[in-house]
Amino acid sequence: MNILEMKDISKSFDANRVLHNVDFSVAVGEIHALLGENGAGKSTLLNILAGVYPRDTGTIVFDGMTYPHPTISQMEKVGVAFVHQELNVVNDLTVSENLFFNRELTRPFGILRAAEMITQTHELFESLGVKLDPNRKVGELKTSEKQLLEICRALHTDAKLLILDEPTTALGNDEIAHLFAILRRLRAAGRSFIFVSHKMPEVFEIADTYTVLRNGELISRGTINEAVPIQIIKDMVGEHYADKDVYLPRELGDVVLELRQFTGAGFRDVELQVRRGEVIGFTGLAGSGASEVMQAMFGAVPYSAGEILINGHKVHGEIPSFMRSQVGMLPTNRKENSVIPDFSVLDNVVSAQHALSGRQQVIRRVKELVRYEALKKRLNIRSQSPYDSIASLSGGNQQKVFLARWLNTDAKVLLLDNPTQGVDVGAKGEIYSQILDLASAGTTILINTLEIPEIMKVSDRCVVFYAGAVAAVLDHDQINEHDVMAYSTNALDSADEE
Amino acid sequence: MKDTRTSATEETTTDNKTTGALTDATGTPQVEKSNPKPNALGRAWQFLKTAWGEHSYIFVFLVVLAVYAFTITYNGKSFSAGHISAILSSQNTVVVGTMAIGMALVIITGQIDLSIGSSMVLCTGVTVVVFNVTNSIILTVLAALGSGLVCGAVNGLLAAYVKIPPFIVTLGTMLIYRSLTLWAVRATPREITGSGSSQFSLKSDNSAYQALRMNFGTSSLKLGGFSIPYVSMLFLACLILFVFIATSTKYGKAVYAVGSNEKAARLSGINVQWIKASVFMVTGLLVGVASIIQASKVGNITPASSGRSYEMYAIAAVVLGGIAMSGGRGNILGVLFGALSYAAIDFIIVSIPALSADIQDTFQGLVLILVIMVQTAGPVLRERFRRGPKAVAATV
Repeated sequence: MNILEMKDISKSFDANRVLHNVDFSVAVGEIHALLGENGAGKSTLLNILAGVYPRDTGTIVFDGMTYPHPTISQMEKVGVAFVHQELNVVNDLTVSENLFFNRELTRPFGILRAAEMITQTHELFESLGVKLDPNRKVGELKTSEKQLLEICRALHTDAKLLILDEPTTALGNDEIAHLFAILRRLRAAGRSFIFVSHKMPEVFEIADTYTVLRNGELISRGTINEAVPIQIIKDMVGEHYADKDVYLPRELGDVVLELRQFTGAGFRDVELQVRRGEVIGFTGLAGSGASEVMQAMFGAVPYSAGEILINGHKVHGEIPSFMRSQVGMLPTNRKENSVIPDFSVLDNVVSAQHALSGRQQVIRRVKELVRYEALKKRLNIRSQSPYDSIASLSGGNQQKVFLARWLNTDAKVLLLDNPTQGVDVGAKGEIYSQILDLASAGTTILINTLEIPEIMKVSDRCVVFYAGAVAAVLDHDQINEHDVMAYSTNALDSADEE
Repeated sequence: MKDTRTSATEETTTDNKTTGALTDATGTPQVEKSNPKPNALGRAWQFLKTAWGEHSYIFVFLVVLAVYAFTITYNGKSFSAGHISAILSSQNTVVVGTMAIGMALVIITGQIDLSIGSSMVLCTGVTVVVFNVTNSIILTVLAALGSGLVCGAVNGLLAAYVKIPPFIVTLGTMLIYRSLTLWAVRATPREITGSGSSQFSLKSDNSAYQALRMNFGTSSLKLGGFSIPYVSMLFLACLILFVFIATSTKYGKAVYAVGSNEKAARLSGINVQWIKASVFMVTGLLVGVASIIQASKVGNITPASSGRSYEMYAIAAVVLGGIAMSGGRGNILGVLFGALSYAAIDFIIVSIPALSADIQDTFQGLVLILVIMVQTAGPVLRERFRRGPKAVAATV
């Protein structure tokens, strides 16, 4: 039996057709993966379901009822809960206050029944196996805990169908495992899920069925058991994608970057030598210190002891001194840390180069345009005009713009913190082949990511962090998911030693 | 023209349409890419739409000016170039307008400066005293700029480096600067203040008085029937300078970047604290320029009453000039039209005999709210019209 049937859904924005006769259905008690590149129409389809956009044609049947003109509040009431990719929690309130936000239990005159709400929060968390203190301020929670809280909030409304839009992007591997355990339990209890993700392994681990959209059209659907990952990826990106192995061993140059007993908040005594043109993968569970080390290597957070040498010179101080040593960093969380929303694509590209060349204050637009066009071609940035708003680009294209920001500064050491976050499969491939091209041309690249297959694809070496320290450094041939997982969970100390 | 907000939420792909650089030599974006061959009418309509979107302040000014012309002719006089020149030389244009340029930069970085009215009084006091004592125009100008810079630097250091919210810092210095000037005017001997114990006044028996006040402060350049006061030209020069800085220098871009996304600006290597402090210093320098204008145009300053609410007038000029209070967006050129609009509203009210001066602020307040309502409600209403009510609520 299907809890949701969407038939012949079409939708255009102005002249732009984003959905064309799409059928989409979800059965009771299944996890249904909705797949597609950015811009394939997933968000629009889900927004139509949630009552955010009106559709042009088609029917929606949810739980046996048709909804000709669904509204947000109506769909919420009948049991569709949308857990957005961006977190919608209120940092200044406690966990239980967030859970009951806008539907607080009250006595007459709006006086809150605080104790009761906390008890109910406890009960809900217990039933879900979530370990969170109802009285903690949400601002103190880790991102992953906030994500869990969001999902709990959706469950608390007795939602029958939960839409999870890339719920795992901010989570570490252990947290993902925890989330999946909860999802499985809820699925067994008859709840249904729409699961949007760009990570194939996750989809194959958790989902029962799938639907692939491309350019607003239904391309394929079926059960995960009978599906082949390569075929799904082909369905998603069309014909142009080939899953070729891009890694090639290269001649490496001299040591350009050296960390000596590098210590700071969240990491300690990191020793590392990186050679020119080398690609190093950093990985580790959330909180392992990998991201913190990277930020300290760019001066974004201070380091407290030890030293960092770039081309043999010690570097201290803030971001500008690292930039003068030709270091660039693509930070994690693009929207928060990279996008300058009021700037055009061009101005977003040149911002770092401007900061670096402050002596020459007057901007030379013609020169910049020439450089921009070259970068655009090289990175295959799909934008119509350099003066388009940055917001008009998809996630993958935005990320290429920010990569261009650093290539434009002629950085010789690139630190990429989670560079494929929220980036679709096609753009991911392009970014990784770009990384290898840069490395062959002598740029040194460090990538921090939780996705081990990506590290296997491009890295010469992989540095695994555990609890703020380097747990292992693996050569390219030694990198495999099992070992990396084992080192990053510190499972090797007791077991594999002989 | 593509609505960025719409396209961001739709995740519309721009694949397969990559046609290379769609720009002309001057670097203006071409907006008519959706309809390749627009007729003349369509082109004009597109132009108006762009102009309204990006330069609505010009339309605001034209409407205000039309109303002013109407009230003049209604009173039986004829609207002439003299009226425009009066707007251009009014206190609200030259003194407030000059400071509003700095205010615009401060607001673009996402901060606010409430102290400019008081620091203008302080700086004019210093300016007048230095003039009276030294009889040197060069030293007077340096004193004006220097005292302005100091006032601004105090604000900037406390706001950017000590990290006290700018609203609080400048609220404090607003009280301090004025009260210091009040104290100083009473404590200073008459021969230095140039007047009684309540006013700083340029000494007319100084030999440089003729040059500063008569030849510069109160005279105009005559161009045919149109006369432009020199102080207005000073204001316009500052404006042109800062339009250039904002649009064509890296410093200007950094100011916008800090206001648009402070974190991303920092991670691009921009020294965010310095930018935040420096806009206050620039404002201080412009307050210094405004003090020179005040001293040479009016000839005196009364610490107890002069420059009251000028910070609010400056904010109004910035807002009427289409600069977003949330930071990151806006055009410095808007300040010119914002200040002119604000000055013209003043004249309209004065020219209606039935209205007393007391009611003036009510009208200015109403016009301010009305204009902003049109500017902010316009796009929202358009969206609503296009998509139906629910979509708007969800995308805001």
